[in-house]
Amino acid sequence: MSGLSAKQRGNGWKWLLAAIGVVIVFAIPFVARPFLLDLANQVLLACIGALALMLLTGLAGQISLGTAGLLAAGAYCVGILSHNFNAPFWIILPAAGCLGALLGFVFGLPSLRLRGLYLAISTLGLHFIVVYLGGEYETRQQLSTGVMVDPPAIGSWSLASNRGWYFTFLAFAALTLFIVFNLKRSRTGRAWRVLCEREVVASAIGIDVQRMKLLAFVISSTILAVAGALFAYQRNFVSIDAFSLYLTIQYVAMIIIGGMGTIEGALLGAAFVVLLPYAIEGAASHLPARLSSFVFALNYAAFGLVMIFFLLFEPTGLVGIIRRIVRRRRRPDVPLHPAGSNEH
Amino acid sequence: MNTEVLLDVRHLKVAYHRIAVAVHDVTLQVRRGTIVALVGNNGAGKTTTLRAISGFIGLDDARVVSGSVVFEGRALQNPSPALMTALGVTIVPERDKVFPNLTLMENLSAVSSSRAKGRERHRLESLVFDVFPALAPLRSRLAGLLSGGERQMLALGSALVCNPSLLLVDELSLGLAPRVVDEILKRLVAIRQELGITVLLVEQNAPAALGIADYGYVLENGRVSLEGTAKDLRSQEQLRQHYLGIGNDQEHRAYRRIKAEVKGESA
Amino acid sequence: MTLQLAANVVVLACIYALVSVGYVLVYRVSRVLNLAHGELMMAGAYFLVGSSGLFNHDPVIGIGMAVLMGLLMGIVVYLALMRWMTGKSVLAAVLVTIALGILLRGLVVLVFTAQQFYPAAALGWNNAPVPLPGGVRVSMASATLVVITIAIYIALFLFLRFTRIGIQMRAAGQNPLLAAQRGIRLHAIYAFAWGLSTFTASIAGILLALDSGVDGQMATIGLKAFPAALVGGLDSFIGACIGALIVATAEIAAIQYVNPLLSDVVPFVVLLIVLAVRPWGLFGSREQLDRV
Repeated sequence: MSGLSAKQRGNGWKWLLAAIGVVIVFAIPFVARPFLLDLANQVLLACIGALALMLLTGLAGQISLGTAGLLAAGAYCVGILSHNFNAPFWIILPAAGCLGALLGFVFGLPSLRLRGLYLAISTLGLHFIVVYLGGEYETRQQLSTGVMVDPPAIGSWSLASNRGWYFTFLAFAALTLFIVFNLKRSRTGRAWRVLCEREVVASAIGIDVQRMKLLAFVISSTILAVAGALFAYQRNFVSIDAFSLYLTIQYVAMIIIGGMGTIEGALLGAAFVVLLPYAIEGAASHLPARLSSFVFALNYAAFGLVMIFFLLFEPTGLVGIIRRIVRRRRRPDVPLHPAGSNEH
Repeated sequence: MNTEVLLDVRHLKVAYHRIAVAVHDVTLQVRRGTIVALVGNNGAGKTTTLRAISGFIGLDDARVVSGSVVFEGRALQNPSPALMTALGVTIVPERDKVFPNLTLMENLSAVSSSRAKGRERHRLESLVFDVFPALAPLRSRLAGLLSGGERQMLALGSALVCNPSLLLVDELSLGLAPRVVDEILKRLVAIRQELGITVLLVEQNAPAALGIADYGYVLENGRVSLEGTAKDLRSQEQLRQHYLGIGNDQEHRAYRRIKAEVKGESA
Repeated sequence: MTLQLAANVVVLACIYALVSVGYVLVYRVSRVLNLAHGELMMAGAYFLVGSSGLFNHDPVIGIGMAVLMGLLMGIVVYLALMRWMTGKSVLAAVLVTIALGILLRGLVVLVFTAQQFYPAAALGWNNAPVPLPGGVRVSMASATLVVITIAIYIALFLFLRFTRIGIQMRAAGQNPLLAAQRGIRLHAIYAFAWGLSTFTASIAGILLALDSGVDGQMATIGLKAFPAALVGGLDSFIGACIGALIVATAEIAAIQYVNPLLSDVVPFVVLLIVLAVRPWGLFGSREQLDRV
């Protein structure tokens, strides 16, 4: 090994780590306890949504608070089509995707006129409308607790085991990663980046700003709706209560805590936000009974605090922290610039 | 006349967004009771120098990177504008110099009372109308609806209510007719005369500024390229050709030089 | 029947108008959209729960303490938290307020548990219905709310017009740099604006609490008031009044004639219509769209 340069040795380490990572990823469903496997499933599902949101907000710079609404749309597509029409999954999933695309178009329309805060507010309004419609459906169908959904099935085989879902989620997550990664490096991705920075410049150099914005919304929403549909199939249950504003904020937090605009950030953030409540639960056992009995409140409080912490002190997110540590290890003598704030 | 140095700026370096250096190395002194002119072309760094003295706020994303600013013997490290005003340094900015949706009177009332309270404050407010009688009938007019000259007078007036010892005036003449500029400059001299306020005047219109100043600095590309008494500067040929547009030789020379460079490069 | 409906509209409009004061104050003065306003209102109501427990059967002190805490809360929120967001992007500041709201939701349950509270009972205050001409009935708390809302708007108008601090707050909202250059201490002005904002929010929360009790869901009312502020144009108080009337009328009409479940969604439908047609609101200024 003495003939290799430091960089080659560094790359060697990287390949080794990647290989180990792949082995771990494929070993989990066979080695892990059911509880951990379920956790992994949640993380993978969140990754899909986080990547979709990162595409819209981090890459294309379009602020959206409609994540929960879109997830709900996908889930309700499953609920309504399977409950009322007994449609099979290979019809419902594409239908969910189409619904997502359509809704993405609708959610994206305000972006043609509004930016920043006002755009976020309009997507917020749309969220409440979707939530209302979902609640209306449940009331009219007299399903006070929600819609029961059968697992996806072909003939006698049905997808119901955690292990099966793990690989399903893994496949979809990998697909989403592939899509987002390639979009980022494509012409569309570059156009989005210009759009994100300076809209005026984008239109001046011939980028069809309206088309690009709507494209970002449509792609992002399609992915989210499919994720929502998968969620419904996995849980075998759809209820409007699961799709609150809090869920949207959790997804927004994922890309902020992870590191806005980066793919690694979306993945890290997804894992962090999904695992945080479990960490809190673990810590809660050490707290006085009065506090630990309200775990959801503890989660809220902890989540709020963590989000504030990152917004105030670590605007570049977990990715930024890691990069800082790596840089410090490599060149301890070079002074670090203070982390700049992420302008949007 | 050699009074004490009120403002002492040495080797000032100012950068925007941590990377764009607008002022490289500016050294100037302002003596108490004088009017000092800071002239130079667009982009020379005059406004940035004034802003650095009077204080940046977070939104500016600008910092004094090196050098020193000492006012009344007190060294200042990136102070806030409110602090500077409280110490006695008030700026009349180049743009956005009044609150457009407040009336003229409200513009004066908005000024903080940190340097003049009660009766003293009242005296200052009525002083504004003594110095600028044209403003008197406009008390309830929205400041955004005032003419350019009226707005400039209001801006100066509201600066006076701050009870400053040092008045920084940024590009007073921009957008104003020469007659109006003359009128306001005369008032400025009167202010200095009667109130003993020291003035640092930034101007693109060098003749007008040097006309009322005692001392002057010429800024070029973020550095002081020339300084002297206003009288000396007015008569210096170099200055006249560069900034006053008198004498065509310089223009011809410049053009010939550019032509030669272009020819030389392509040869 | 319609008279009663009209009375309901007036009461609901006053709730929204009173809550909107906070949105407009903070937005107009410090250019931050405070999406935790609903939770801050809820916190005010919980202050009453706390003080009513301490000052049993003494409504004046109980309510007074709670209102005072509400005022202090805003100042603390600004100085401890929002102050560090000045100079950062507006969106980041808004996200911080959202996070604050979530934090507060968790905290109130941790401190007070998730049960419903009825501070009126604890204070020994009888919320009897007030009979009005035409057979209209409103509760005492609602009637008080209407009167207080009108009083607050008048007081606010006078304050912003005729006091130096009021004028300075308007100035800081128009041009923070110039305000600082005229000696106005921005942090003090912003802290005061936040304090006034939570002060009015707490009053709204307290009156609602006296009327129908407190639970963790109260913050939703705060969120529903937001469209009222937006419809009027986020930086206009008159606009907030009119916006509140519009949203309240639409909501009551929808509940009465279409479907009671619409009550939570109508404000946002109005919001979307306004954003589609005239995003800067009825009385706002077009420029503020570009501020963000």
